[in-house]
Amino acid sequence: MSNSSVYPTPINAFKQSKRSVLSVIVDNEPGILARIVGLFSGRGYNIEALNVTVVDVENNLSRITIETLGEERVIKQIIAQLEKLVPVHSATNLANLKESYEAEICLVKVEFENEDQDHKILNFADIYRTRTVQKRQHLVVYEISGTSERINKFLDDLTTISGIKVELVRSGPIGLGI
Amino acid sequence: MSLDQEISGAEIILQALKDQEVDTIFGYPGGAVLPIYDAIFGQNFLKHVLVRQEAGAVHAAEGFARSSGKVGVLLVTSGPGVTNVVTGLTDALMDSIPIVCISGQVPSHLIGTDAFQECDTTGITRPCTKHNYLVKDVNKLSEIIHEAFEIARSGRPGPVLIDVPKDIQFAKAKYTPKSEVSFKSHRIKSGSSEIDIQFIEKLIEHIQQSKKPVFYVGGGCLNSGPQASQELIKLVQKTNIPVTTTLHGLGCYPGEDSKSLAMLGMHGTYEANLAMNECDLMINIGARFDDRVTGRLDAFSPNSVKFHFDIDQSSINKNVKVDYHTNTDILLSLKAINDHIDRRGINFDQNQYDPWWRQIEEWRGKDCLHYEQGDEVIKPQHAIKRLYELTNQQDTFITTEVGQHQMWAAQYYKFSKPNRWITSGGLGTMGFGMPAAIGAQMANPEALVVDIAGEASFLMNIQEIATAVQYKLPIKIFILNNEYMGMVRQWQELLHGSRYSESYVDALPDFKKLAESFNAVGVRAKNLSELDDAIKEMISVDRPVIADIWVDKKENCFPMIPSGAAHNEMLLSKYDKEKPENQEKGKVLV
Ligand SMILES: Cc1ncc(C[n+]2csc(CCOP(=O)(O)OP(=O)(O)O)c2C)c(N)n1
Ligand SMILES: [Mg+2]
Repeated sequence: MSNSSVYPTPINAFKQSKRSVLSVIVDNEPGILARIVGLFSGRGYNIEALNVTVVDVENNLSRITIETLGEERVIKQIIAQLEKLVPVHSATNLANLKESYEAEICLVKVEFENEDQDHKILNFADIYRTRTVQKRQHLVVYEISGTSERINKFLDDLTTISGIKVELVRSGPIGLGI
Repeated sequence: MSLDQEISGAEIILQALKDQEVDTIFGYPGGAVLPIYDAIFGQNFLKHVLVRQEAGAVHAAEGFARSSGKVGVLLVTSGPGVTNVVTGLTDALMDSIPIVCISGQVPSHLIGTDAFQECDTTGITRPCTKHNYLVKDVNKLSEIIHEAFEIARSGRPGPVLIDVPKDIQFAKAKYTPKSEVSFKSHRIKSGSSEIDIQFIEKLIEHIQQSKKPVFYVGGGCLNSGPQASQELIKLVQKTNIPVTTTLHGLGCYPGEDSKSLAMLGMHGTYEANLAMNECDLMINIGARFDDRVTGRLDAFSPNSVKFHFDIDQSSINKNVKVDYHTNTDILLSLKAINDHIDRRGINFDQNQYDPWWRQIEEWRGKDCLHYEQGDEVIKPQHAIKRLYELTNQQDTFITTEVGQHQMWAAQYYKFSKPNRWITSGGLGTMGFGMPAAIGAQMANPEALVVDIAGEASFLMNIQEIATAVQYKLPIKIFILNNEYMGMVRQWQELLHGSRYSESYVDALPDFKKLAESFNAVGVRAKNLSELDDAIKEMISVDRPVIADIWVDKKENCFPMIPSGAAHNEMLLSKYDKEKPENQEKGKVLV
């Protein structure tokens, strides 16, 4: 986390907390995202990642996926608070479902200088079965999807290559119960 | 009016209010609500009460709602009109009071341009309402209003705001009556109506096994309606279990009854707090384990099995972990329990709790609300006691401001019925009581309505005296005048070495003359010999009265559980000394 912020950043505060992915079905109406984000900031909950998109045009429903950290008790409280919001149909902790799947997508731009780096990058890209979106001299853009963990590993591996420059964007996890 | 006819947004609002059986609205005009005010002009089903500041409108709507069980309604203009009600909306949210606020907004095409008296109303009020709307299409207006009322009163009640741009007030559409709107259940969240028979059986089993049970009753019981209180009384009679109530629960169980332990919490009775501390079974009926009630959490009722009745799922296990809970409406649950007991012919051993009651009597023997009334200076406790004794023969509604007087009112005024006690608990809003009294008097024209006030709080919304005078509302403002922000002074004495920083209320007005200048009536009692006459005069005059009661300036409110202390670390008088380590910890708390 950035340490240029004037606020203390709670890196350690959440160490014991579990990561949870919440799936929230809402009426797609003005202000709904502000309601949800406001609930988290107002009550001091943590948002690690957030994803919102309309998923049912006919019924005007959006699915919001929130990755958050907290003890089980806090997660239960978050769900209860979310379900109190008028436009919210349901809020589910994916971990509580018998079966659920998670995925995330990430675009990675890598700038490099020499062939050795290029080889190493290519090797990792291969292992992780990334899709090449763009390739130029000294620059490559990959798309990688899968669990957040898998993406983390790929990014960790990239950092073992010295002298390259990495820029990236991640969608945050999305998930679905089956 | 035919339903095929197109009418203006402003007329739709009036029609919807009529449909919702609203007969009273509190408000203040301005540019962005002029079309609505035009529709109010020349109709006669809706009485508009013109307040003197919008804060007055929202607290009046709260007082109206609390004292009548109906939804309170207010109308304010854009910008400063609506920012003035933010405190009251927050107050209503904290105390679960159903109100609907209609605010004007600049015309749709000007939204986002920093237009005159524009503000982001839905943005500002989002965290302090149960729900809010910005109306973008006049065709949706009727439906929005009906949904707003339904949301305000259902489940755990609360404030709802509807922001209506001026062009929408002029635009025309057909009106949709309430009967034609079908509400979506996920949006209304009315709470469960299912009876959880297992919960009931478990509860009865625990009551039968318990040696030291206690009922802990809160505002949820009040919000479930007066019938819920009746069911509670029946259940208490059957089981012989003592009852303590929160600040908002006062009146849900008769305060004079021998099974009542009176209020618990920071300024609750010795017997109530010790019973909570030592009980083996706690039955929470619509209370939320607020920090003013629990004291230090890790020492809160360590040995009890806890049952929690609360319509709000998010209240369960929020502050205190409970063993059993139900989210079914309290009236339905209590009725089901009573029916179950009757149907099964379950008898409770009336002597089962004898040792427990003996213990409670011993605690009661401490006489924790004792005070010494000398023969000169009026003790504030005594003023409330006399007020109670001189008014309890008639139907009396008590509102309060916030401070010591509020706690003394809670301790010394006894309520026999719900909805007679109207106070700002969750937010603790000074300036609440007088406008709330106006609302209560509007809802109960025949009743006696008294605002038990502190002089500092009263000054916060003093302008509303004019409203009371204009509408001939004979509310009584009973000021316990100690010339201090007494509650602040008390904390400074206990926690800050008696350094009374900025808590003296200097330059007070002459309240008697002030009353007269508003065309209200002023009475005063400077010492004990004048007290009863002042109260009697106040009650007998059929006009708004300000009673300036001079009380002991240095009196403190006891018992007191200092912030951060446990129930059994209560201070009973100023001679009790707090543990120094608690004092340091308590200082940082509120
Ligand atoms: C709007 C608001 N501002 C500040 C406070 C903090 N506060 C709580 S009690 C109190 C003093 C109230 O004084 P007064 O109305 O004279 O009542 P007393 O305690 O003397 O009975 C203050 C300032 C508050 N509750 N509300
Ligand atoms: Mg005072």
